[in-house]
Amino acid sequence: MAVSFVIVGLLGTRLKRLEYGGWVAVGFAGASMVVGVLVAAAEMLHPGHYSDANFTWLHLPGSPGTFPNGFSLVIGVLVDPISALMLLVVTVVGFLVMLYSIGYMHADRGLPRYYAELSLFLTAMTGLVLADNLLEFFLFWELVGVCSYFLIGFYYEKPSAASAAKEAFLVTRIGDVLFLLGIFIYFSVYATSGGGAGWAASGFLFVQGSTPFLAATMGANTPLLTVAGLMMLAGAAGKSAQFPLHAWLPDAMEGPTTVSALIHAATMVAAGVYLLAVASLFLGFTPDDRLAIVAVGGFTTFFAATMAVVHPDIKRVIAYSTISQLGYMVLAVGAGFAMVGLYHLFTHAFFKALLFLAAGSVIHAVGTQDLFKMGGLRKSMRLTSIAFAVGALSLSGIPPFAGFWSKDDILASVYAAARSNPAYWPFLILAYATVFLTAYYIFRAWYLAFSGEHARDATLPHAHEGPWTMRVPLLALSALAVVAGLFAFAPSFASLFSIGGGSGVPPTYSATELVLSAVSVGLGAGGILLATALWGNGRVYVLAPDSTLQPLRTILLQRYYVKAFYDWVGLTLVYGGSRIADWFERYVIDGTIHGFERLGTASSNALRRGQSGLVSDYASYVVLGVIGLLLLLLFVAPIVLATVGVP
Amino acid sequence: MTDLSVASLLFLSATLLAVGLFGILTRRNFILLLIAVEIAMNAAILNFVYFAAFTGTPGGLSGQAIAVVLVGLAATEVAVGLAIVLALNRTRGSINVAEATSLKN
Repeated sequence: MAVSFVIVGLLGTRLKRLEYGGWVAVGFAGASMVVGVLVAAAEMLHPGHYSDANFTWLHLPGSPGTFPNGFSLVIGVLVDPISALMLLVVTVVGFLVMLYSIGYMHADRGLPRYYAELSLFLTAMTGLVLADNLLEFFLFWELVGVCSYFLIGFYYEKPSAASAAKEAFLVTRIGDVLFLLGIFIYFSVYATSGGGAGWAASGFLFVQGSTPFLAATMGANTPLLTVAGLMMLAGAAGKSAQFPLHAWLPDAMEGPTTVSALIHAATMVAAGVYLLAVASLFLGFTPDDRLAIVAVGGFTTFFAATMAVVHPDIKRVIAYSTISQLGYMVLAVGAGFAMVGLYHLFTHAFFKALLFLAAGSVIHAVGTQDLFKMGGLRKSMRLTSIAFAVGALSLSGIPPFAGFWSKDDILASVYAAARSNPAYWPFLILAYATVFLTAYYIFRAWYLAFSGEHARDATLPHAHEGPWTMRVPLLALSALAVVAGLFAFAPSFASLFSIGGGSGVPPTYSATELVLSAVSVGLGAGGILLATALWGNGRVYVLAPDSTLQPLRTILLQRYYVKAFYDWVGLTLVYGGSRIADWFERYVIDGTIHGFERLGTASSNALRRGQSGLVSDYASYVVLGVIGLLLLLLFVAPIVLATVGVP
Repeated sequence: MTDLSVASLLFLSATLLAVGLFGILTRRNFILLLIAVEIAMNAAILNFVYFAAFTGTPGGLSGQAIAVVLVGLAATEVAVGLAIVLALNRTRGSINVAEATSLKN
């Protein structure tokens, strides 16, 4: 076990050799997948085992009174059940996407850059899940953020890609700064009061010896801790694209599809959910925090799904779907079922990566992302169409596909939470409504792309499947999207979902829960049927121009004007404020400086007249000065001294 | 040495200084100017020598030593001054300090 720590910890060094190309990256990703699987297997063999290897990088001694315990900055590797689980997701999906890239990206320029950045991302992501303290976590958190920026802007010569990268970076940055503020608040609370058993003093370590440093469940609201919890939520919202920081994720689809699959579906965006889960375990949320998290998650789930309903771009439909599914996870964590959220994270990583890679296969074949130009691809791309359908069924929550188990578990958990806290009810209803929308929009996309006789745009090239490097990951992920949900029913695997007591994974089925499942499956099936009725067999459902739904469609296509609002904030508030600041700088500050400057110039010019440049004149000034000083010393000084009384 | 009073010797120094200053203030020829500077400076050096002589050893020796150092200093000063004279002559064709006024700009 300890050996695999060291190996995983040292994986970062593989970055050095990436000039050699994709296969090197694939090889190392494969090696890290093997290690990841081994770590997870070892963790399963020893349920609830915590292994922490760290060293203290910096130690600040404490001072009595304000800062009694001192502070340590620790770097370490922690393998606990949930980090082993995350490691499994990250390395498996990472390896499959890396392999897929060989086929998908072969025609692109800048491949060393691509593989280097993707490997850096994988390194950062493994570091993130293995971090054993909050500060190290934050470090890797920023690192995955910057990798995301690089990879969204991979086609940097395209202005839309460059601006999408910038947008993603800036929007997540808002969350990151708030996250950091939250860490400061936790620090001030735990380091100065000596509370939290000197938790901050130990460097925010998640474990103490071999037991987790679990936070006590908070029954009451403490203002400072509530604010800190909200800051954690803001950080997670930025990274996981939750409302109102969600708008960057659809734009992030400007990056290569492989990047969308790995970073913006399976791993990095899930880091926000992971943060919330970690925070709920180790930091603790107050009841107000929980309600806020449930509200954000529940609202985002529905909000994002509505936008996916009308979008014509295959990747963006899936991107909205990702936001929506992340909302489910946030909802579950907020409702107090962090492990259920991670369960959905686990299954979602596989079926969403599958959907993205299948979409990538389509894009690779036809060279467009516009659903309305595609059609009839089922015949020429049988494997891709089946893979996409598997992903879509899993996403829709149809049993026995992976998504069914975890989504159902979330709905049942939130139902249980709502019974004790009525404020959760509206968000449970939104979550149920989303099940219907999800099934509808994803099958709409499937029908548009794959059904019908031929492509609607006749100019598209003849489609064909990609090389084996693209087909193998599709097959592997399809298999996982079918069975991943069932893993949790194996007791040893389910142990990965338990830190500190009951986890709610795997789902249990009492009579109430069976009814709830039936409702959600019914909603999902209803969504699929509606999609079939409207879009099946290559039909295109066109909304009548005078339909009352037309304004709604516009709002959805305009993404609820959130982007417009961002722009308004940017252009009116920030730019306007900057204009005022600019005026102030130009006329008040610069004016003052120029005033001094003019004063200096004018006085210099006046004094300049006195300068003859003649050496003799200066010499005479010196002589006169010396004589003047002598006179002062001999005649004036005694008088002055006598007057003030110095002998 | 004892025949001469300190006052008379200081009067000599003062006279030399006055002559030097007069030269500095009135001459326009750079070389004459340098000579005038040397005269004024020698007045100061002489003062060191007088006082050293009247004080006797060991304090007197340091006065004599300073005088020697100052003579050396004067020599270097003249060397620099003459170099300036040469440079001035080369660029302006004249060593009249009244014409060398461009530094005021």
